[in-house]
Amino acid sequence: MTVRALCLAPGDDVAILLTAVAAGERVHLSGGDGHLMSRTEIPRNHKIALRDLPNGALVQRDGLIIGQSTEVIARGSHVHVHNLRSLRARPANEATK
Amino acid sequence: MIQATPIEESAIEFSGYANANGSVGVRTHLLILNLTGLTEMAARRASAVLPGSVLVSFPYGMGMVGDDLAASVRLLSGLARHPNAGAIVLVSADRTRLDQISAALADDGRPNQAFCLDAVGHDALALSHRIASAGARLMRVASASRRKPFASGSLCLGVECGLSDPTSGIAANRLIGAVTDRVLAAGGTVILGETLEWLGVEDELTVRAMKPEVAKAIKEAVTRREALALDNGVDLTGINPNRRNIEEGLSTIEEKASGAIAKSGTAPIEGVLAHGEAPSGPGLWLMDQPSYSPESLTGFAAAGAQLALFSTGSGNSYTSALMPTIKITANSETAQSLGTQIDFDCSALMSGADLNTAAAELMEHISSVASGMLTFGEILGEGAEVFSRFGEAL
Repeated sequence: MTVRALCLAPGDDVAILLTAVAAGERVHLSGGDGHLMSRTEIPRNHKIALRDLPNGALVQRDGLIIGQSTEVIARGSHVHVHNLRSLRARPANEATK
Repeated sequence: MIQATPIEESAIEFSGYANANGSVGVRTHLLILNLTGLTEMAARRASAVLPGSVLVSFPYGMGMVGDDLAASVRLLSGLARHPNAGAIVLVSADRTRLDQISAALADDGRPNQAFCLDAVGHDALALSHRIASAGARLMRVASASRRKPFASGSLCLGVECGLSDPTSGIAANRLIGAVTDRVLAAGGTVILGETLEWLGVEDELTVRAMKPEVAKAIKEAVTRREALALDNGVDLTGINPNRRNIEEGLSTIEEKASGAIAKSGTAPIEGVLAHGEAPSGPGLWLMDQPSYSPESLTGFAAAGAQLALFSTGSGNSYTSALMPTIKITANSETAQSLGTQIDFDCSALMSGADLNTAAAELMEHISSVASGMLTFGEILGEGAEVFSRFGEAL
């Protein structure tokens, strides 16, 4: 079965998986013939990193910044609350570096 | 029979009720509006013996002050005038409050009656009897109203999402946005609320503001809501997005918000309403209000919305008592597992179905519901109204 991920906007750092994947599966990206390998298990409708992201990177989804990475994220990894956090409603002393 | 509407034509027709006050209803309910917590059970007993009546009950008393008082009176007055009420009964333990809300119906023209507990010697059972007896007669009058055709420009829609998942923002909310654009093009009105879900996307909203004051009001509403979280030391992760949103794949408020505002389509924003405030004209309006769906929907109902479009990812059974609430999902598993909750399945959008075709289908469904087709929420009696409080009482 082909695993597909939706790329919502050009320049996005993440895509949305239309089916769950195990680590090491080939994921086809919508809107072209691009693909990548999943590095981790990722549930359906969750986000996969389209590129290597350093710690503290602003993460773009559907053309908008949805938060900041809290660790180094490798291409193909699951991007979620364990490695991404909101930039909003954060006390000044822990806001964006 | 309503014809399928070509995509280019925004004006669907529906059969609604021309109310004496000039508003257009899609239902002709007997509304029993209880104004004080003390009389709630008396009103509830009366409602129970009048199947089909809609009970909306304010559970608080007379000690409210300031903005909280203003909001409560605004909500109650707006609900008393709701276009889907064919007749109205007001119930109160307090004559001052009863007079205050009765004033909202002074020039209304629809049959209505007001009952105060002191008129029956503070006998709650006698009050129930009076309400039921009058209500039975009023309900009969309301049910005699006949529907007539209206264009979709007569619609005011509240757009809502609850227990969202990524399919909400990617598909269901975009579909609601496409329908919003169509209803607005026909001269109708749409209200988007849930201020917290403008966080991180306020620039997308401010660029659509009709006037600089509107952009300023949007910014201020977002700043105030964000400060509320900050001042109380609240980490939004786990609250909004909540646990279930997170399980389904939404990571941050910015991500959830970007999907949530898709419901507003692409039109310019006329203004920012207070919670429960009626728009002063047609167009797209934002409502500055709490983001919890039951409170949010009641704000739309008080503003005069006849219908709500409500997208969900995991499923959300809550509906408004006064506004038929159309539940929409783009999650195929939810559409399959919640067959008596989801009114409109748009999961085909996730596998590439055409948005314009789906929007035409949803417009037709809205026309059917506006003309009397029941939502699952109405069939199952899920509807309620919930009153927000904004401060301490005396």
